[in-house]
Amino acid sequence: MDKETVSTIAHLSRLSLENEKGDKLISDLEEILEFVDQLNDVNTENVDPLSSPLEMTARLRNDDLNSKDRKSKFLSNAPDSNEDYFLVPRVVE
Amino acid sequence: MTIQYKSIKELNEMLNNKDISPTELLDETFQLIDEHKDLNAFVTLNKEGSYKAAKELDSKDAFSSLEGIPIAQKDLFCTKDILTTCGSKMLSNFVPPYTATAIENLEKAGCLSVGKTNMDEFAMGSSNETSFYGNVLNPWNKDFVPGGSSGGSAAAVAAGIVAAASGTDTGGSIRQPASLCGISGLKPTYGRISRWGMIAFASSLDQAGPMARTVEDCALLLNEMCSYDKKDTTSLNVEIPDFTHNLNNEIKNKKIGIVKEFDLSKLDQNVVKNFESSLDQLKKLGAEIVEVSIPNISLSVPTYYVIAPAECSSNLSRYDGVKYGFRTDNITDLENLYINSRTEGFGEEVKRRILIGTYVLSAGFYDAYYKKAQQVRRLIKNDFDNAFKEVDVIVSPTTRGPAFAAGSKSGDPIQMYLEDLFTIPANLAGLPAMSIPSGFENNMPLGLQIIGNHLDESTVLQVGHNFQVNTDFHNQNPSKGVS
Repeated sequence: MDKETVSTIAHLSRLSLENEKGDKLISDLEEILEFVDQLNDVNTENVDPLSSPLEMTARLRNDDLNSKDRKSKFLSNAPDSNEDYFLVPRVVE
Repeated sequence: MTIQYKSIKELNEMLNNKDISPTELLDETFQLIDEHKDLNAFVTLNKEGSYKAAKELDSKDAFSSLEGIPIAQKDLFCTKDILTTCGSKMLSNFVPPYTATAIENLEKAGCLSVGKTNMDEFAMGSSNETSFYGNVLNPWNKDFVPGGSSGGSAAAVAAGIVAAASGTDTGGSIRQPASLCGISGLKPTYGRISRWGMIAFASSLDQAGPMARTVEDCALLLNEMCSYDKKDTTSLNVEIPDFTHNLNNEIKNKKIGIVKEFDLSKLDQNVVKNFESSLDQLKKLGAEIVEVSIPNISLSVPTYYVIAPAECSSNLSRYDGVKYGFRTDNITDLENLYINSRTEGFGEEVKRRILIGTYVLSAGFYDAYYKKAQQVRRLIKNDFDNAFKEVDVIVSPTTRGPAFAAGSKSGDPIQMYLEDLFTIPANLAGLPAMSIPSGFENNMPLGLQIIGNHLDESTVLQVGHNFQVNTDFHNQNPSKGVS
């Protein structure tokens, strides 16, 4: 894993590695990937991937209103809000 | 009179005999919490809420099994109007508008939630050293870790502060700390307990469960924690038996499997000796020990360390500093609001797992890692399905050794990951599994793991209870030392 790959992954993860001990992190990630690489020795031809131990289709439900209006409660957890909106820095100039 | 180290059952007797009232129970519990502050087991206390609930019970004549019992809740469960941090700076200001179903069920049954317990950040860790709120200490020896991620819950029960605590288990986070702290802890079948209101780590593996001093208490708690919940799409709509019903039935002729492929020769030899004496105990009770083969079991840890980080990177993408949680002060535009909030809000281990997860899910690597791991996951599940055609439960040591010194493994991720060698397979296959105290090494507790077939918590609990009726490891405590 080279520095360029690490910086691409960091960008996809929306994490900055600028202040990290870069080499230790890269060597940790490499060590973990090397460790999981042993999976490649297993013959998995014609084996269906298992994404959940239950293997059931997720149940659907109607999107009914079932609680009273808790808008102010939800907004009170926001770092910044204004009336009915979550506030973020200006996106369009 | 002291309530320290009392089980739920004993406290229930005291309540019914009018030896103590729920409010007096809380007085003593909060005093014990105060006396054991140095353990750092709690992040937030809920004095107001628990006293209010206790007062409503004080005048009762008869108490059902959990009515008036103080309980500690892992800080991963959302609790209405009570700070819920998940061990992270990211949620250091998060006050949920609702309560997790599992916790609501316990409170409806009369449990008094006294506070939220410390844990590894977002449940990622096996030593409680990744918490933003500091390490939890092991009550048996404060230089040692309590295990993780449910380390605060395990320490609070082991120190006799509360008789019970909730935990969650994604790769061993109930069973490993239970083992290291000398208590009993059960991870039920995936889907038994609703995940609604649990802060997600790896959604196909996460499962809540009870932690307590005895197997019997775990059964009482499980009875209430389980429910069919429409708000969790993976909640099972199946019959919920009375998990205490079977406990006292003898285990004569039960077939107990040991896994051929678990290489015990590399383990601490005291752990092996302890495991062998546990097998002898089970044989004495009339059980038959049978060797079973789970050929792919040694691939569980690498499989887990693809699947869990992949699901983690997806689940934790919700933390963006916009709708709730931590927001950086260092903002020039929207993009760096996201980046700086996440970089400053997450700890090192969480970031490491997000990066690994993002890598294994990224274009070009998905098939080689994520799909491959899911295929191996099926092979492991198939192995268990076959093994359970021959045996009733499978046993192993819970961990490779007793609690280790704080700091001794935190620099080496792979060594820390291998801590969950014996516990991860049950999460991958979705099976119920519990850890019970099985003895001591240098005065530190060891645990026996009992894995059951799909939805067969009853047999796991039955084997565990029979073991406890005939041993007294679970009756030891850090104050009196090991006898």
